[in-house]
Amino acid sequence: MNGALLIMKKEYMELSKDRRTLFFTFVMPLILYPLIFLMMGRLGSSDAASRAGRPSRVCVADPSGVFAPVLRDAQGDFTVVPRPPGDVRQAIRDQKLELSLEVDPAGAEKLARNESLDVRVLYDNSDESSKLALDRFKNQLRRQENLWVQARLKALGASPQLALPVKLETVEAGDMSLFLGKLVGSFLPYLLMIMMYAGAMQHGIYATAGEKERGTLLSLLATSLPRTQIIIGKLLYIFSIGILSALINLLSMAFSVGRLMASTGAADAPAQAAVTGVAALATPAALGLTFLLMVPLGLFFANFILLGGIQARNTLEASTALTPGIFVVVLLGVFSMAPGIEKMTWLPYVPVLNVSLAIRKLFSQQGNGFEYLVALVMTVVLAGLMTWISTRMLNRESAIFRV
Amino acid sequence: MITLTDLHKAFLVKDKRTRAKRRIEAVRGITLEVRPGEIYGLLGPNGAGKSTTLRMIAGLMRPDRGRIEVCGVDTVRRPEQARALVGYLSTDLGVYSRFTPRELLKLFGEFQGVEARVAERRGMRLLEDLGLADFADVRMEGFSGGQKQKVSIARALLHDPKVVIFDEPTTGLDVLTAKTVLDLLRVMKAEGRSVVVSTHVMPMVEAICDRVGIIFDGVLHGDAPPHEILARWQVATLDEVFFRLAEGERA
Repeated sequence: MNGALLIMKKEYMELSKDRRTLFFTFVMPLILYPLIFLMMGRLGSSDAASRAGRPSRVCVADPSGVFAPVLRDAQGDFTVVPRPPGDVRQAIRDQKLELSLEVDPAGAEKLARNESLDVRVLYDNSDESSKLALDRFKNQLRRQENLWVQARLKALGASPQLALPVKLETVEAGDMSLFLGKLVGSFLPYLLMIMMYAGAMQHGIYATAGEKERGTLLSLLATSLPRTQIIIGKLLYIFSIGILSALINLLSMAFSVGRLMASTGAADAPAQAAVTGVAALATPAALGLTFLLMVPLGLFFANFILLGGIQARNTLEASTALTPGIFVVVLLGVFSMAPGIEKMTWLPYVPVLNVSLAIRKLFSQQGNGFEYLVALVMTVVLAGLMTWISTRMLNRESAIFRV
Repeated sequence: MITLTDLHKAFLVKDKRTRAKRRIEAVRGITLEVRPGEIYGLLGPNGAGKSTTLRMIAGLMRPDRGRIEVCGVDTVRRPEQARALVGYLSTDLGVYSRFTPRELLKLFGEFQGVEARVAERRGMRLLEDLGLADFADVRMEGFSGGQKQKVSIARALLHDPKVVIFDEPTTGLDVLTAKTVLDLLRVMKAEGRSVVVSTHVMPMVEAICDRVGIIFDGVLHGDAPPHEILARWQVATLDEVFFRLAEGERA
């Protein structure tokens, strides 16, 4: 084992000599995610604030003047603008105004006759300002409709509650943390897998096909170190760099998202609840058990990268062979996020996917000890099998001297 | 001491056009012995089987048949022990260019189980002998081919091997560096090591080799001091032996 640790030390020594790679592997994620989320937060909040503080521009075609007092009452929410020349739809798309109201010309008479009047609203669903204008109008209309209904009931001498046979009270019975746990649990395996694989891939290629390309692998094999230890040393390096990379990316991302949610939390109660909920779910036990599953899975990925690298003639060939692996991991991740997969009875027995499932259940507080153990044992066996294949491969001359 | 007995090695080669696999006998029944304090020259054209033979002695390849012993250690049965006795150098070998020579030698000392202090002392002495002491703490990225070759030589000799195998050690080197390498080989011989050198440079063979073996098409022809080989073939230079062998092949 000492030889394997020496090889791993050599790999880390080589990495430590390359400041640029070190920066992009370990420092960049710590800067990138906070920066991205900070910018997203700033842009989002400043855009929302500027929209909220600005009245919506509305053009109104209302010959009978039914809606003039309605819009006037909502002071600050609307600015009535003249109808633009040409197509009103195009004007809304061009953001010259947010909303266009076309009220029934006989609206006043219909109201007087206690009939319904028709109102046509034009808006742009792809534009946040236009959607806000529609929401504002609907709120104002709801208040006005209530007044009209009350007036009609009063005129008829009926109870004001005539139009309200049921008073509906909705109470949230679900657990916010459980909901968030399911959400985090469905995302987490996917993120961990993709970050582990992608983080380890280039380093693995450098340590395998790169060594062949640079002619240094033979000098290593010519030493008295047993080949098994050389391969295990490289495996440990690829595995550890994958785990480190995934943890750094994930921590940075979690910190950034947490900051973003906390910063919006003052004005947004659900966001605040989300932060509290996630914090409650990420217990040391859940995190520890997740990490325990990620170890054999990381070894499995490291072996996969190692095999691809050893078999390749050069780094380009290795890169070409291993890149599709990212898409496979993405597909596995997408599958693991699919709703209802926890109901598939065969899934706990499918390697790799059962790890996703186990992590999902851990975070939704539905952990199943048996399924967890099956996933752990299967992944450990798989990683062991792959390690055995890798060591066999490095002993094959066709792999070493394939140049 | 190196002993090769009836060594065979074949490779499967895929024909790109027909996609059929063809078996190529790279080494066919080589038997030879290199004694301590002897420099053995292995000669032959490209693809004759020299490098394959040397790689088998260095424990990098396994023979299909036959036996190799390095100082009495079987390279197939006890490969790690055998490799610990061998210092192998080849032009194919690269150096870890992100390291300085001192760092590289320290690391390889650890790989070979040499105590750190001893590796440092021996490594520095080798760098001095090779005229590279001033560059001991310079990263090898900017090193010339000759400088890298010198570092490789120091790496190969760091663990004080009893057997030295140099595969074309002077290829691509300037005259001065080549002379340094030849001087070092003479020192190896004087120290009682068994040295095997493969080369195309005939004057070098005549200058330093005690015995030579000519490999042609995987078969060892001759196995005698250079002057005896010349006398046996009745030629003036070793190059002419090659021509004769090639003519025989064509006939």
